[in-house]
Amino acid sequence: MSPEKNTPTRRALAVASMGAGIAGSYLGYVLQRAFLGDAQSEAKLKSAHASAARRMRNEMQALRGPAMKLGQMLSLQTGILPDEVLAELASLQMEAPGMHPSLVRVQIKQGLGGEPEDIFKEFTPEPFAAASLGQVHRAVTREGEHVAVKVQYPGIRQAITNDFKLFRAVSKPAQASGHIPKAAIDEMEQQIIAETDYRREAENIEFFGKQLTPLAFVHIPRVLRAYSSDKVLTMSLMRGQHLEDFLARRPSQKLRDQLGANLCELFFFQVLKVEALHADPHWGNYLFLPDGGVWLVDFGCAKYLSPETVAYLRSVFLYPGATDSADFQRLLEKPYRLTGQKLHPATRRALVSFAENFYRKVYSPWPEKRQPFDFADKGFLEDYLRESKNLLRTKGVMIEYIFMARAEMGLYHTLHRLKARVPTSDIVRKYL
Amino acid sequence: MATKKTVKSVTKKRARAAKPRPSGRRAQNKLDIRARIVRAALDLFQTKGFDATTTKAIARKARIAEGTVFNYFKTKDDIALHFFEQEVDQAMATVRENPRLRNAPLEEKLFALVHSQLEYLARHERFIGAALIHALKPASPLGPFSHRSQELRHRYLGFVEELIEESSPKHERGPLSFFAPEVFWIYYLGVLLYWLNDSSEGKQNTLAFLDRSLNVGVSMFKRGWL
Repeated sequence: MSPEKNTPTRRALAVASMGAGIAGSYLGYVLQRAFLGDAQSEAKLKSAHASAARRMRNEMQALRGPAMKLGQMLSLQTGILPDEVLAELASLQMEAPGMHPSLVRVQIKQGLGGEPEDIFKEFTPEPFAAASLGQVHRAVTREGEHVAVKVQYPGIRQAITNDFKLFRAVSKPAQASGHIPKAAIDEMEQQIIAETDYRREAENIEFFGKQLTPLAFVHIPRVLRAYSSDKVLTMSLMRGQHLEDFLARRPSQKLRDQLGANLCELFFFQVLKVEALHADPHWGNYLFLPDGGVWLVDFGCAKYLSPETVAYLRSVFLYPGATDSADFQRLLEKPYRLTGQKLHPATRRALVSFAENFYRKVYSPWPEKRQPFDFADKGFLEDYLRESKNLLRTKGVMIEYIFMARAEMGLYHTLHRLKARVPTSDIVRKYL
Repeated sequence: MATKKTVKSVTKKRARAAKPRPSGRRAQNKLDIRARIVRAALDLFQTKGFDATTTKAIARKARIAEGTVFNYFKTKDDIALHFFEQEVDQAMATVRENPRLRNAPLEEKLFALVHSQLEYLARHERFIGAALIHALKPASPLGPFSHRSQELRHRYLGFVEELIEESSPKHERGPLSFFAPEVFWIYYLGVLLYWLNDSSEGKQNTLAFLDRSLNVGVSMFKRGWL
């Protein structure tokens, strides 16, 4: 029993105390709020996130943030959380501590080089919504335009980096066993860190604004570059209602169907035509209009897909033949061959089962059986969760699909909440 | 009651210090020279270090006779102390003169106070580190036991007490709450150390640290844990 000096636990502790000592940790904030939360979090930002969050148990709220995303991945694979909770988790968003006006002032001063009153004609010190890693304020520019100003919480990037250091250290055993591939952690960290750069988000907004013009029902804000930096992002004001408020008005089945179809079309248009994805489909990131229009709000998390991935998806979507045919097997193997990986028999079986038990039910490949799919029935969500768990357990998931799966899950969740009936296959066929 | 009186006088004294009456050109001239000495001294403290700076060098840089320096300050420690007095005065003025802060929660007021101190100190960061170490030497006029620095600390903590009183009156507090200003002082020194060691861009980590720790601290105080 020689005393091991450099055990993973010891290393983890060292990393944790170092990180936490220097810049704190996002996880730490989350825990802090769990213990001391009441006063502040109640006074916090009224928004659809808040109303969505109300539906969650309090402990679950404490799991938000990157830690939550990691936890979600872990739990998917080990099955520690019940499916309903998972579904809720999937569509939650990262949230930063609320900022009081004095701190907002400091952040604006650092980000835009002047006091809010000097930069803007008007600036409302109280936020009107929570945003990923910050909060949103109303303002009027010198030119008289009404805008939304997103302000980031200080030091958030460092805090997230610290959490990842810690997570990497404590998850060494899981990485060794292949339950959490290192590449998956890298991908997550990269994406989450990217969300802290508002300049990159501005680029995403402009990219999607241009690419999504063919979809008339999609609205995307305009970035005001002169009023933006890496920590402050100023956009034209958006209209519409968050899902909860929209549903509270009891929209007609026809309108809900229309919206459902629009959201579905938006998803497949992005995947198959734009080859990039607004990948944080939390319902707080959609604003709905009474004419079926949709505003996209948060572009922090955008996933750009490789042409090979898109080609693969094209080939398997609505595949009409038998799933045990040699042709289909070849299709499944292709992305693995391209990246030099091996498709394990267990993963292959899980993929076939996914196709049979979920995709063929929701997206019928056969024209004669085609009718709008009714998302009101919870069964399809359960199928989706069961099959994805099944697939993840085989440890054979391609990293490329992690964020796409997140977006897909968010889409299904929203469609379910809308109780929409959507001609799914017709929509997919349009873009194949 | 007695504390409340001292507290009030703190603010008045501050007001006097912050807005000197322009009583004639002579007085104005004196103030100018004083400011020049302080500016020259701080520049030298910053570039040459506190210990290596002589009053002679300060006089030369301020373009006055060395003897004149002594008319204003007995030692260079006095100059440093004067700088810290100004720092505290302007921070208290910043909090008091901001109408938006009047009804702000305690943690925001304390944030504004400490942040404006740090902003003031930021121009002389190197010197602050040296001054902190210097202050730890026994018998140093900057040290915590010297009369003048005690007076400054008393004034500062009186103001903190005033802020606490505004948001939670005495009779509503826990039995140990009279320690709160003292605890805040230790906390402030901690923040200062953190800030000096913070290499993040725009000292963003200090902002996060300050915000979070004040939230926790005030919340503990309000629960009577402090």
